[in-house]
Amino acid sequence: MAEAILYDSTKCTACRACQVACKQWNELEAEETTNRGTYENPPELSASTWNKIKFTELELNGEFKWIFTRLACMHCEEASCQNVCPTGAISKTDEGFVLIDQKWCIGCGYCVQACPYEVPHKDEHTGTARKCTSCADRTSNDLKPACVTTCPTGALTYGDRSSLLSDAEQRVAALGGSATLYGENELGGLHALYILEDSPEVYGLPAEPQVATKNSIGQWLSGLITAGLITALPFWFIFRRKDQIAVGDANEGGAK
Amino acid sequence: MTWTALIWIYLWLAGMAGGAFLAAKAVGRFSGSKDDSLLRLATWLGLPLAILGVLLLIFELGTPLWFWHLFTQFDFTSPMSMGTWILIVWVILGVTMLATWWLEGKVSQEAAASLASLRKLISRINIFFSAALIAYTGVLLAVSSQSLWAGTILLPALFVVSAVSTGVAALVLAALGLNAIADSGMAEIKLAINQIFGSTEWKTPKEMIVRLAEADAAVIVLEIAVMIGYVIWLATSTAGSDALGVITTGSMAAPFWVGVVLLALLIPFGLDLTIRNKAAEAKGVMMTIVTSSLCVIVGGLILRWVITSGGQL
Repeated sequence: MAEAILYDSTKCTACRACQVACKQWNELEAEETTNRGTYENPPELSASTWNKIKFTELELNGEFKWIFTRLACMHCEEASCQNVCPTGAISKTDEGFVLIDQKWCIGCGYCVQACPYEVPHKDEHTGTARKCTSCADRTSNDLKPACVTTCPTGALTYGDRSSLLSDAEQRVAALGGSATLYGENELGGLHALYILEDSPEVYGLPAEPQVATKNSIGQWLSGLITAGLITALPFWFIFRRKDQIAVGDANEGGAK
Repeated sequence: MTWTALIWIYLWLAGMAGGAFLAAKAVGRFSGSKDDSLLRLATWLGLPLAILGVLLLIFELGTPLWFWHLFTQFDFTSPMSMGTWILIVWVILGVTMLATWWLEGKVSQEAAASLASLRKLISRINIFFSAALIAYTGVLLAVSSQSLWAGTILLPALFVVSAVSTGVAALVLAALGLNAIADSGMAEIKLAINQIFGSTEWKTPKEMIVRLAEADAAVIVLEIAVMIGYVIWLATSTAGSDALGVITTGSMAAPFWVGVVLLALLIPFGLDLTIRNKAAEAKGVMMTIVTSSLCVIVGGLILRWVITSGGQL
């Protein structure tokens, strides 16, 4: 059965308890960071930060806003990372969560380049790519993900994706205005759903994310057709004069 | 930055290897020559380059000893998986071709004729794998979410044209190097080369070298056209123009304008123009060709650096 994590940005106070719970449950080390003039910390997702709250300050309709969003694996139905993984180390659980097998990943870094949300990161210590697992080790034992369990405001909920979707639709309707539900259809449907007060771009989320392998055939054709043309045209142009140049003729001074 | 120097050096080496093979095959086809010593040189040149590239690639992995996991998967959607198999086939076909040349002088005439036809067949199959190999160096980057790589379908085209250009330049330098050995008194080295090639005929006529330089100039014209198309395509999209800014006006601007535009494209093209219609023996011709080829090869490396690093910034 498809499951999901629902994040309601309007209920998030950016307490960052989810960040701590994630680090604690997954035994991820803390990062040494410097003051950048913001409470947002660490600055970005990494191999040891799988979940973080992003802070955005902006002016919206003449009003100052301080808005938050959650950065973690989106667990895409059409997962770019899984498509490009050359060893088959990336798979999807029955619930729809995308996992990187740490015993099979070779650390080629392709998933890092392919993810439209810049989620997986290569871990210098393990040599593998790592990211949020949606606490598969907890959910398979009827526990909620650590971030959801610890969230004190109810901004994070976990459960059956379709019922979360209907809850989210009601909430978005109640919020009115420019409120948006993100994740229902993006990349075949995400298993991380977002209730946003405004458009996804305002939160730094791509409005129309593309799966990395979308243009694969076009890219291969571009290379192969050019290879054909580039070896045909210039060489035909230069070498079509049939006055043969026999290598043997040049070998008088050779090593016979 | 996840993909570092080892990756872009690999993309450059693999491109040069496949490009040299394709160029040699095209020369054979369009010149109508039955002699395949240029193809032999391209194969001998390309295999070590490609194998060196693969070693770099393995070393770049987070867990290099697990590289064999790549061979447990055949996945059309993953360019890296496809590239792995393309490389393996390309190397096996190349090694087989080298073996046929090596054996040719050591067996009966009939057997030698069979070896030659086997080689002809393999070299024809390897046209496809060489094209796939050099296309793969661009597709690897283009199938991603980095705008500089994925924002247009012209990146594989650009890398392919550059691969052929650097391949021709590498062929020219290798041929000139062998000619210099042939003309020198280094008898032992000559004997060693005779042994390795399985033949005493490995000197390349000067006329052929001049023609190769002319062909490279023609390839560069197309490379300039593809580069303009690539830049325009990116510049006309929002995400693409931001990514393009990194290489045209941002932190990678100096290597892009000096290393790619001047060194890989304009300078070698200009140099090749100066030797047009000059006899191969004319003064300064060979020195111009050497300079132009070196520019192309170094410029090709800088192109991979600018694109690979610029895409991750």
